[in-house]
Amino acid sequence: MDTTYGMTWSRWTAPSGGGIRRRLAALIFGLALIGAFLLCAPAPATALEVAKLSAQPNTDAGSDVVGGVDTRITWEVQADPDESLTGFFLALPTGTAYTTEDARVTILSGADLMDRTFVKATYDEAGETLHVSFPEPAPAGSYIRFELYGVKFPVSGGAMQLSGSYELEDGGNKDVSGMPTLQVRETSLTEQLESYLEAQPLVQAWNANRFLRLFLNPLLIVTSLPIIFSGFLMALAIVIVAFPLAIPFGFLLSLMRISKSRILRLVAGLYVNLIRGTPAFLQIYIAFFGLPLAGLNMDNYPLGVIVMAMNSAAYLCEIFRAGIQAVPVGQGEAARSLGMTGAQTMISIIIPQTFRNVIPTLTSEFILLYKDTSLLAAVGVMEIVMYAKTVVATTGSITPYVVAALFYLVVTLPLAHMVGRLEIRLRRGGPRPGKLAKQAPAVAVGATPDQISSL
Amino acid sequence: MSQMSSLQSTVSAPGETADPIVSIKGLEKSYGGNVVLRGIDLDVHAGEVVVVLGPSGSGKSTMLRCINRLEEPTAGQIIFEGTDITAKGTDINAVRRRLGMVFQQFNLFPHLNVCKNVMIAQQKVLKRSAEEARRVAIEELTRVGLADRIDFMPSQLSGGQQQRVAIARALAMNPSVMLFDEATSALDPELVRDVLAVMRDLARQGMTMIVVTHEMGFAREVADRVIFMDGGVIVEEGTPDQVFDHPASERTRDFIGHIA
Repeated sequence: MDTTYGMTWSRWTAPSGGGIRRRLAALIFGLALIGAFLLCAPAPATALEVAKLSAQPNTDAGSDVVGGVDTRITWEVQADPDESLTGFFLALPTGTAYTTEDARVTILSGADLMDRTFVKATYDEAGETLHVSFPEPAPAGSYIRFELYGVKFPVSGGAMQLSGSYELEDGGNKDVSGMPTLQVRETSLTEQLESYLEAQPLVQAWNANRFLRLFLNPLLIVTSLPIIFSGFLMALAIVIVAFPLAIPFGFLLSLMRISKSRILRLVAGLYVNLIRGTPAFLQIYIAFFGLPLAGLNMDNYPLGVIVMAMNSAAYLCEIFRAGIQAVPVGQGEAARSLGMTGAQTMISIIIPQTFRNVIPTLTSEFILLYKDTSLLAAVGVMEIVMYAKTVVATTGSITPYVVAALFYLVVTLPLAHMVGRLEIRLRRGGPRPGKLAKQAPAVAVGATPDQISSL
Repeated sequence: MSQMSSLQSTVSAPGETADPIVSIKGLEKSYGGNVVLRGIDLDVHAGEVVVVLGPSGSGKSTMLRCINRLEEPTAGQIIFEGTDITAKGTDINAVRRRLGMVFQQFNLFPHLNVCKNVMIAQQKVLKRSAEEARRVAIEELTRVGLADRIDFMPSQLSGGQQQRVAIARALAMNPSVMLFDEATSALDPELVRDVLAVMRDLARQGMTMIVVTHEMGFAREVADRVIFMDGGVIVEEGTPDQVFDHPASERTRDFIGHIA
């Protein structure tokens, strides 16, 4: 705005060709106005004016200027027509770093300030205050641009107030007034870490390798971790709700599958075979695209949970069925021979033994279900893969997918380890190996549904 | 022990002409086309110890399992304490709590400790309080010589100890008849003795017992009556002396000869 004003002013003052009388009249009128203004508000009659002060946005996305990360400051001033600058001081906020290596002073002139004259200035650094001296005085009334590179504002951010003063040919020194403030956003932890890493020679050497840069770029690992973390939470939220829902459903199905009623067996069998016989991917598509078309609109999260739970229940059914049938027939017979009812036998004798036996398999199914939440990315559920996909799309690196893999492994590896230990403990905690064969004959393990249901 | 004395008071001496406590009439059982029992008639009186002998596949275990309907009879009648347990509408659970059964494979509940094994049916079926069930459990476990094992898990016991726990578990329900289905067949020879000792004590205290076994010594010593089964029928029946020393049938002779 100030720049435009200056330009307009210079054009007004340069008479050119016809209509000069009208312009003169306007000029007189304008001067009169200024005079009136000056009378009312006593101010320095003439002074250098700040046309612009800006810092270049320095984040991957958005127009923020953050602290701790290199940025470039551009400072433009319009000298008063009778001022001829020989240099200036620029004081940056405390804790600001910069480099004068690529600093540049340019005098802009001509129509629309399109002509540039580079000034071979000398720089004298005294902490945050930089003294810039011109080899010879700039023409009076120059429009001067100063660019300073490698500026790192404090990471805490805030409103940065710069100040300056300028030196005139006659030896005078005046403060610059009207310096705008620069808004600097606080630097996030990842941005700090990222800029730290970026400066490390080791990281630079690492990224020089194309393979490493593509799959394991440390900078992108740092960037994508917090982003994909949201997806991690979503995946956990899905599986942590879906799995406990699937357990009673699957158990009910398993009871139906071994029940005496032919209809119940048929219904459960049909369900289990349909679910297990088709890809989970297809089931997700049918639910997410089919239900809205049928007029049933549901949020992604609950629908995702329901689909995953329904899918898992079919597998859990078979796990429970195998678990129930692995309990020796004699267990049920012993309980029934004591007068316990079928339900009492189921609840007090069979189920406790079933759960003990199926815990490892159940944990494996949990792992499978957790991994299967990735399929929901196909329908836009914002889980791990979906977030990774968006980061990959903006960076063109595969690294976010590798980060996504970490978010799966952090859950699956400890659980898989636990399964292994549980299996060992179950084997040890059961009947002593020497007695095993005698106590639980193979026939009992391979019990048929009829045998179980006839208890 | 008090329950035993009360039991004994109702017991009539073997051979007396009181109503039998278990009466099997024309019992048949077949699995599909495979006929296992071809018409069994057997009366067992209160206080009697009946030992059932026979080669494997003769149907003796099946007969035993029909008595508490772990196997559904195909035909025939089983009267227990005056009720036809094969009749429709019979509360079989009520019948079973009066019929203790001991299995070849012990079938202790591996997830429960010894005491809880003996307690659980008392609590679930007889609705006894935990304290009472525990008191009875300790009483019965003392009787089988395992009072010091109440906190053990079944897997920590020897086979013989497990079988004695199983006997205590059945006794805790106050049964009027005990069914033993080859109770010592799965045991190492040195462990058989302890279990037989418990069974012998039980017989001496007047418990009505139907015992399927291969232990000839036990049969000879404890049985009031020995039954020899083969091919799904009772081939021979009599006192131990009659069956072991003067068998009437060729098949019995063969079998006794092979075993002894």
